Amino acid sequence: MFKRPFAPNVMVITGLVAGVLGALLVKAGNPPNMGICVACFERDIAGALGLHQAAVVQYIRPEIIGFLLGSTIAALVFGEFKARSGSSPIVRFIIGIFVMIGALVFLGCPVRTVLRLAGGDLNAIPALLGIATGAFIGVQLLRRGFTLGRSYKANSVVGWIMPGLMVGLLLLAVLKPAFVLASEKGPGSMHAALAVSLGAGLLIGFLAQRSRMCFVGGIRDLFLIRDPHLFSGMLVALVAAIVTNIAIGHFKLGFEGQPVAHTDHLWNYLGMVLVGLGATFVGGCPLRQLILSGEGNADAGIVVLGMVVGAAFAHNFGLASSPKGVTPGGMVATVVGLVVMLVIGLFMRE
Amino acid sequence: MSKPLYGIVLFHSTNWAIKAEKVLQRAGLEVKLIPVPRHLSSDCGVCIRFNWADEEAVRRALEEAQVEIEGIHI
Repeated sequence: MFKRPFAPNVMVITGLVAGVLGALLVKAGNPPNMGICVACFERDIAGALGLHQAAVVQYIRPEIIGFLLGSTIAALVFGEFKARSGSSPIVRFIIGIFVMIGALVFLGCPVRTVLRLAGGDLNAIPALLGIATGAFIGVQLLRRGFTLGRSYKANSVVGWIMPGLMVGLLLLAVLKPAFVLASEKGPGSMHAALAVSLGAGLLIGFLAQRSRMCFVGGIRDLFLIRDPHLFSGMLVALVAAIVTNIAIGHFKLGFEGQPVAHTDHLWNYLGMVLVGLGATFVGGCPLRQLILSGEGNADAGIVVLGMVVGAAFAHNFGLASSPKGVTPGGMVATVVGLVVMLVIGLFMRE
Repeated sequence: MSKPLYGIVLFHSTNWAIKAEKVLQRAGLEVKLIPVPRHLSSDCGVCIRFNWADEEAVRRALEEAQVEIEGIHI
């Protein structure tokens, strides 16, 4: 039998650590049901850098820096750091923008979707169905021959751009120069201590690089190859976060009054269809894009940068939802995003 | 050393893996799409597992169909 040495164990450990820390980071100061949210945290970074002016969501989240650099460390230790690029970067950039917009219509990336459900927020159920629908459509398009094209080996400088950016961000987070904005109230003002956030991020980033954990890939693989390996990581993270939340008294079951959430099921669903579809096209969820960026994959780096720009658009143009609900602009942008994804999916074929 | 049971074909992108699956199944070979084993890394998350006894036939079929591969591993 072909061996996958220790593979399931690393996946289980990654899911366990991500689930437990995802719940505990809230206890440590992060916003409720938002111990980890790659989309929200990149949005906060966009705000901290003044790319948007939503005063309540501005903070350089050390978790993001940790995820990416944790992956870089793991990739270097295990000889998997490979600079590569060249797989339709501009298309990936556009997909990144729309993935962020979809996530901010729902208010969470796939990781936060799982963490919201683990906190008892049932609005995450339509969102999970949305991710699954998006992944399912993406798989059908893949079967028809959809591809963004292959990537190529690149000069190592190319691979070090994203890790380098993260080191720069870390310096800004530590030195706090005046031009870096920081929320005084709202979710952006709620955060764990820098060292705690960074440490948790590094640990999860390291493990996620080893296990290839992906919160969209898990569902994609169920449809594409009927294999539950990646999905098992999501499931373990969900169970671990539920148990942790119950233990620390953060579990509250229901649709109404959930933190940093709204109850518009249709748009929660459609926003995450956009995320599931876009993520399937670029080969992984927003967390996975950070991990790939950390390994030297500049194509994933472009998706991350697209997401940061998408966050700026989302807040500058009033597309992002709030606990009050979805905005008309958010609805339009979601539909436009779905159309753009379908055009890309139908016409980029080999 | 005992003879390996399975071989793995890695690809640069997912659509090639799916195409290869179709080509190889049409050639009557027993193959399966699986997640890329962690110790082999690849730009794409899925790969083809085939019976090692079919190695020659797999290589020939993929070459004839001009399916671009990243490599074949045991």
